[in-house]
Amino acid sequence: MEKVKSPAGRVFIHAVLIVFAIYSVVPFLWTVLQSFKTLRDANSRTPKFIFDPILDNYEELWLRSVPENGATIAFFLLLALVILIGLLLFARYIPVRNSWIYLFVTIGFAALLWGIPRVVDTAKFYDYFINTIIITTGTIVISISIGCLAGYGLARYTGYASVVILIAALAFRALPRLAFILPYFWIGTATHLIDTHILVIITLVAVNQPFTIWMLRSFFMEIPKDIEESAMVDGANRLTAFLKVIIPIMWPGIISTALFTLLLAYNEFLLVRILTQSNWTLPVAISRFTGGEDPRHLTLAAASSVSATIPIILVILFFQKQLVKGLAAGAVKG
Amino acid sequence: MKRHTFFQFTAPSIIIMTLLMVIPLIMAIWLGMHFLTFNNITEPQFVGLRNYIDVLHDARFWQAFNFTVLYIAIVVPSLIVIGFVMALFLDQVSGFARGIYLSIFLLPFIIVPIVGTIMFKQLFEASGLITWIYQTLFDTRFRYNEQSVKALIIFFGIWYVTPFTLVVYFAGLQTLSQDLLEAASIDGASRLQKIRHIVIPHVRSLTLFILLFSIMDAYRVFDSVFVLSELNPIYKANTIMTYTFQTAISVQRLGKANAMAVLTVVGIMIVLVPFLIQSYKEQIAER
Repeated sequence: MEKVKSPAGRVFIHAVLIVFAIYSVVPFLWTVLQSFKTLRDANSRTPKFIFDPILDNYEELWLRSVPENGATIAFFLLLALVILIGLLLFARYIPVRNSWIYLFVTIGFAALLWGIPRVVDTAKFYDYFINTIIITTGTIVISISIGCLAGYGLARYTGYASVVILIAALAFRALPRLAFILPYFWIGTATHLIDTHILVIITLVAVNQPFTIWMLRSFFMEIPKDIEESAMVDGANRLTAFLKVIIPIMWPGIISTALFTLLLAYNEFLLVRILTQSNWTLPVAISRFTGGEDPRHLTLAAASSVSATIPIILVILFFQKQLVKGLAAGAVKG
Repeated sequence: MKRHTFFQFTAPSIIIMTLLMVIPLIMAIWLGMHFLTFNNITEPQFVGLRNYIDVLHDARFWQAFNFTVLYIAIVVPSLIVIGFVMALFLDQVSGFARGIYLSIFLLPFIIVPIVGTIMFKQLFEASGLITWIYQTLFDTRFRYNEQSVKALIIFFGIWYVTPFTLVVYFAGLQTLSQDLLEAASIDGASRLQKIRHIVIPHVRSLTLFILLFSIMDAYRVFDSVFVLSELNPIYKANTIMTYTFQTAISVQRLGKANAMAVLTVVGIMIVLVPFLIQSYKEQIAER
């Protein structure tokens, strides 16, 4: 639509947008404020906007004991983080093959996560954070690998079987999760697999598979058939053509889908809540801080909520374009 | 692509979906026919259809069902209206400002639902910001009771899904035919007339898509209700999903919970089947 031009109209539009923006962020901003307050300040009946910010809540959440040389350790941790994220951001300007840089950054992050509990005395919350990372990464890798194969097959095969599988997947995507999870719980308990990462990962892959194959299929449909056909004329078989020719140009689509898988796995509550007993992920761990009557939980709940949100916000800032594109693509194709 | 190549490519996905979705669903029907608690988990006791009948006579189940229907009836239309209107407003700005607004609007959608609910709840605690505003405005304290907890659940439901509809409509607006709009301008159509006669018909198929998916997601809403219904210990603010969860985990009647899950699947199928038939026809026509 053409834009409103009158100054009054412009002011009105921005006013509405700003009000909606405030409505969207107020819960988050308020929680951030609460997380830096002492219990006394946080429980004050008239909200305090000016107070002495403290880090105690975060320390209590992440650390079992505060190390003496905390400042030095924090400095080196931040330095390592800045270097790794910087490498990721500017990879394309460095004259080394980018895949080597990405590999290095991945190993760097893994080493960092592995190393932290060996330097400082971390609390349980850190373990839940690691569980979340393991489960999310595992789900993304497995889900995208088998999803790509299936999505490609479904995009290229025009037979009857293809349509039947797609419709069945659509039906299963819509069903309430509990109908699957309660049997998983029964199987898990009977086979003593409950509380293991592998059970959570495999079941997460399964419940997200219908969505993944639909989305990947829609991206594969956009790639013209001629591309792999010319490769196959040159003597490659279909799998080689798929791996060497199609996948390299599919990256944007794969990243979009991986982003949604990440959100789904990172956010999953019900499945993890039922299938684990102590190996929780962040959402399940955090829900524990809210139930009790103990007012001490107020600031801890705030600090844990903010801690769980920051990584997601960072990832989305990197990939916002792909997220919006994925939402739009999924919608336009139905 | 040949038929057997197709099956080679799709095999891993089909196997995992069959093993972990089709078979569990059948198992749920079968487990629903057993008396099953945490004590006799390896030797369920067959009771036939008793659990299913039990569920249908359970007043609390119907209470939860009614609240779920109420939730859908309020949340889904609100999502569509707010999302569409805000997409029209967002369409009016461009460049840098648009990017900033979009990033902020997306926040409720990317936050972990459990965490979002907890953040929401912080506003309504005794020391919360909204509690304070409420007290200043109306001079009475904000209290948790059945009505206010239900209102809170519904309000949260709208808050965290609106970004999704907003972005979908916004993307739809970008594909509007400019010629049509210009022709309308030449004919002297007002802005509202253009929205009424060009934009709304243009986003009709998107609305259908949003309608279907938001009904399904609202039907199985769990996370936010789970956190907020703890505020109301008489369990009156349950939806079907949280009630099933309580039956399975807190009350430990796994058999009955399975029967309940199966019945909810049957319930959503009534909405789902006409849509599935339609997309089946579309897919057949498309190939």
